[in-house]
Amino acid sequence: MTTRVNSLITSRRVLNDVQVASMKLSKTQQMLSSGKQLNRVSDDPYAVGRALQLRDEMEHTQQLQKNVEDGMGWSETTDDALDSISSAVARIRDLVIQGATDTAGGSPRDRIATEVGGLIDSIKTAANVKFAGRYIFSGTDTGVEPFNVGGSDAYNAANNDGILREIGPGVTVQINVGGEQVLGDGTTGLMATLRGILTDLQNDDGAALQAKVAQLDGGMDQLNAVRAEVGATYNRLESASDRLMQFEGTTLKMLSETEDVDMGKAMIDFSIQQAALQAGLQAGSKIVQNSLLDFLR
Amino acid sequence: MANVSTFFGLQTSLRGLLAHQRSLDVTGHNVANASTVGYSRQEATLATTDALHLAAGAKIDGSGAQLGSGVMVEDYRRIRDGFLDVQFRAQNTVLGDADARARAMEGVELSIAEPGTNGVSAALTKMWSAWTTVSNNAPDNPARQVLVDSAKGVALAFKEVDTQLKSLQSQAQQEFAGLTKFDPATGQYGEVGQIANQLAAVGEAIRHSSMMGETPNDLLDQRDLLLDKLSNLGTVQTVDLGDGGLRVMFGGAGTPLVDDSKLDDKSTPGDDRVSFDPTALLSPGGKLGALKSMGEAGGAIESYRTELAAAVKTLADQVNAIHSQGPSGEDFFAFDATQGASGLTVIQTAATVQVNRDGTASGADIAREIAALRGGAADQAYQVFVARVGSESKQVQRTQANAETLLTAVDDRRLSVSGVSLDEEMTNLIRFQRGYQASARTMSTLDEMLETLINRTGRVGL
Repeated sequence: MTTRVNSLITSRRVLNDVQVASMKLSKTQQMLSSGKQLNRVSDDPYAVGRALQLRDEMEHTQQLQKNVEDGMGWSETTDDALDSISSAVARIRDLVIQGATDTAGGSPRDRIATEVGGLIDSIKTAANVKFAGRYIFSGTDTGVEPFNVGGSDAYNAANNDGILREIGPGVTVQINVGGEQVLGDGTTGLMATLRGILTDLQNDDGAALQAKVAQLDGGMDQLNAVRAEVGATYNRLESASDRLMQFEGTTLKMLSETEDVDMGKAMIDFSIQQAALQAGLQAGSKIVQNSLLDFLR
Repeated sequence: MANVSTFFGLQTSLRGLLAHQRSLDVTGHNVANASTVGYSRQEATLATTDALHLAAGAKIDGSGAQLGSGVMVEDYRRIRDGFLDVQFRAQNTVLGDADARARAMEGVELSIAEPGTNGVSAALTKMWSAWTTVSNNAPDNPARQVLVDSAKGVALAFKEVDTQLKSLQSQAQQEFAGLTKFDPATGQYGEVGQIANQLAAVGEAIRHSSMMGETPNDLLDQRDLLLDKLSNLGTVQTVDLGDGGLRVMFGGAGTPLVDDSKLDDKSTPGDDRVSFDPTALLSPGGKLGALKSMGEAGGAIESYRTELAAAVKTLADQVNAIHSQGPSGEDFFAFDATQGASGLTVIQTAATVQVNRDGTASGADIAREIAALRGGAADQAYQVFVARVGSESKQVQRTQANAETLLTAVDDRRLSVSGVSLDEEMTNLIRFQRGYQASARTMSTLDEMLETLINRTGRVGL
């Protein structure tokens, strides 16, 4: 049996096709106007999951960049402080050598002692430097001034613990240096040596002073080692910053590929679908019109 | 020579005229109803009338004969294929189910608002970053305040999704209750009850006509249309009772929704042909089935809420496990499991949030460890939830599109059998008109013949 095709079927089919065509068109239109190919989860469940992850990665990367910038600030401040401590120590070494010679007995040693005393205080002041309102040589106890200027040489902060910054997923770097590592706890270390030198100068003890030169050199080596460490940290942060910047670029590109509409393709789709809709409408207006009635008189 | 009435031919022509006139009437009815929903085209079936028996000697060999006496309408027939109706209704049930599901899933998708900048995912991202910021600036109160606010944002985002899911669930339940409302006492009926009552009314009229030997074509169309509508709501099975009556089984319930056989049962007073109990619909299929399985306790929407709540619990547990190691020993989040995903609250303030174990100003081990939960089990649980909603919604959309295509195909076949084709009707119109004209011509020819016989015979030479 041949299928009877009647105007009901024809008009319904035309209507159906036109509806499907205009639905596709409106979907493409939405893509074009929103610029996103993912407007609902069901558009592509896998891609949506990926997009959520990538967005989180983007945000995380930006946060990591902030961490790195902050870390670089700490490092620079630490390095500046260590630099002024180093030059103060170097000046003290000159003064010690000057004061160690026996010709410089009596009042020159008193003068030298006064200058060394001042330098010791300036070293402590340098070590008490703050970054963003926090003492950087106090371990994690950043609310406490690490050294007492003009007072005892003891280290005041509770610990020498590291302050860490996350610079990559699961990667942390220590951005601070413990105060005791730099100046010692007052009984041993650089500060104790300096205090000994001051005492020797005040006691006018040239022989003891001479023995201190080697100790001072040891202290300076230690200081330089710390500075090298800080420099290395800074370099590490700098390279992390570059890497994160690159990573942000790649993530952004991937996110855009996942989420964003390929405008060229969407525009072509749009015009094809528009043409299809117009053709459907035109065919509809022609087919449904024609009937035997047109030919009967 | 057998006797045939002089006016026999006139009678034959008259029958021809009448039969063609009836056929034209039917054509007119078809054309008039070309756009009527549910209308099946009709046809006047013509048959020859009983032949006139001519006695022996009518033919040259002396035997009798039969002389054709014309035409009569045998029946007014409705052209319809009952098998296609069954197919249509089965497919319509599938579509009713898919439509309702797709609509509910669209609501679910809209409620989770992903991918977007206001969804849970964005809130979580903001919170993890806030923990990192706190770990960088442990002593800063503003950073802690931002953290507490962003954590409240997470709780709010989860709550919004959960609230919307909850309202979708109750919407489905309400829609189900509305459609299945059946209260003869107050006369309040949902769509099922209304259709059932109409079926009972039409059924009674059909049965009445059938008993008189008539075929109530238009009433049968009405009943089929009602059954079509009903099949969208749930599964429909019909049993033909043979006397024009019908027994309609609906939604897999054991008791018939409409049972015309009870017309004969006078033991119970009033009209007891319609009986409906919504609670007996275990798996009704169709729109009702979808609404039921989406909205019921333990249904699809509730399973989403459960999964979302599990993600929230993972988040709370993971954060609390680390946070409670701080000096205060307190949790960061409180999670009330009885409230599902809405049960998440932040119970710390900027002043009381625990950032480290040792209590120093810049110690931030706790904040750092919590920040490292980013992308962990909680985030993943939520992403799995989103992916599940997405793929299930996509699946339903596909089912819906398929069901629509199949239903259209079945309906096309049905229309191709029962639909009115105007071209065909116009052809018939010409055919019947010509038949009518020819019958009339035959009649006038016979009339002329009689004129000759009556007025001219025997008037030779006048």
